[in-house]
Amino acid sequence: MNIKVEVFSSPGCSKCGRCVALVESLQAELGHDAFRWRRVDVVAELDYAVELGVRATPAIAIDGRLVFTAQPSRQKLRAAILGTNEK
Amino acid sequence: MSEQYLIGEIGSLLGLSADTLRYYEKIGLLSDVQRSPANIRLYSDRHVSQLRFIQRAQKMNFSLAEIKDLLSMREDPQHSRREVRELTHRKLQEIESHLKDLTTLRNELTLLVNLCAGSEDGCPIIEGIEQEDQSS
Repeated sequence: MNIKVEVFSSPGCSKCGRCVALVESLQAELGHDAFRWRRVDVVAELDYAVELGVRATPAIAIDGRLVFTAQPSRQKLRAAILGTNEK
Repeated sequence: MSEQYLIGEIGSLLGLSADTLRYYEKIGLLSDVQRSPANIRLYSDRHVSQLRFIQRAQKMNFSLAEIKDLLSMREDPQHSRREVRELTHRKLQEIESHLKDLTTLRNELTLLVNLCAGSEDGCPIIEGIEQEDQSS
């Protein structure tokens, strides 16, 4: 439950909504204890997004590290989250 | 054989006036400017390199006195005075700090430009600026 997934999105970004839906769906599949997540509006949290290396949206960070710079496939996101979980 | 330049040629090349070039020589920023038999100044490729260094350093707001010291370090790094070495070290730190700020700014602008390009309704850059205006 300690794994933190952050989805970086921006206003008017249609792909961001799909990315959020993917994360929600994956949480439903893996269970709510598998990870916690939040949506980060890069306009509101510009400094944080830049610090993590976000250059476009959507992007996904896991435990404070930028892992995906575009929407990943369901399999890749699942593997990334479970890989983190196995550490 | 090193290329030689007249004052007008080197001025055009680097965007400097003849007065500026004469002044740099007078205060010792430029040394060893040769003269033709007709007493016309002749500049070399080494001067071009020094002048480009001066222009870069001026963009970093270094004073001409500081630049003069840095040029002496540039000419003979092994035998430069301790104060000049310290100045060079200090200026290096200033540049690295400036570079860090520039890199952060570049990354912010890259993100904002990409958001603008990927946005379907409106440009988040404008919204970001408006939010900053309201909070200031």
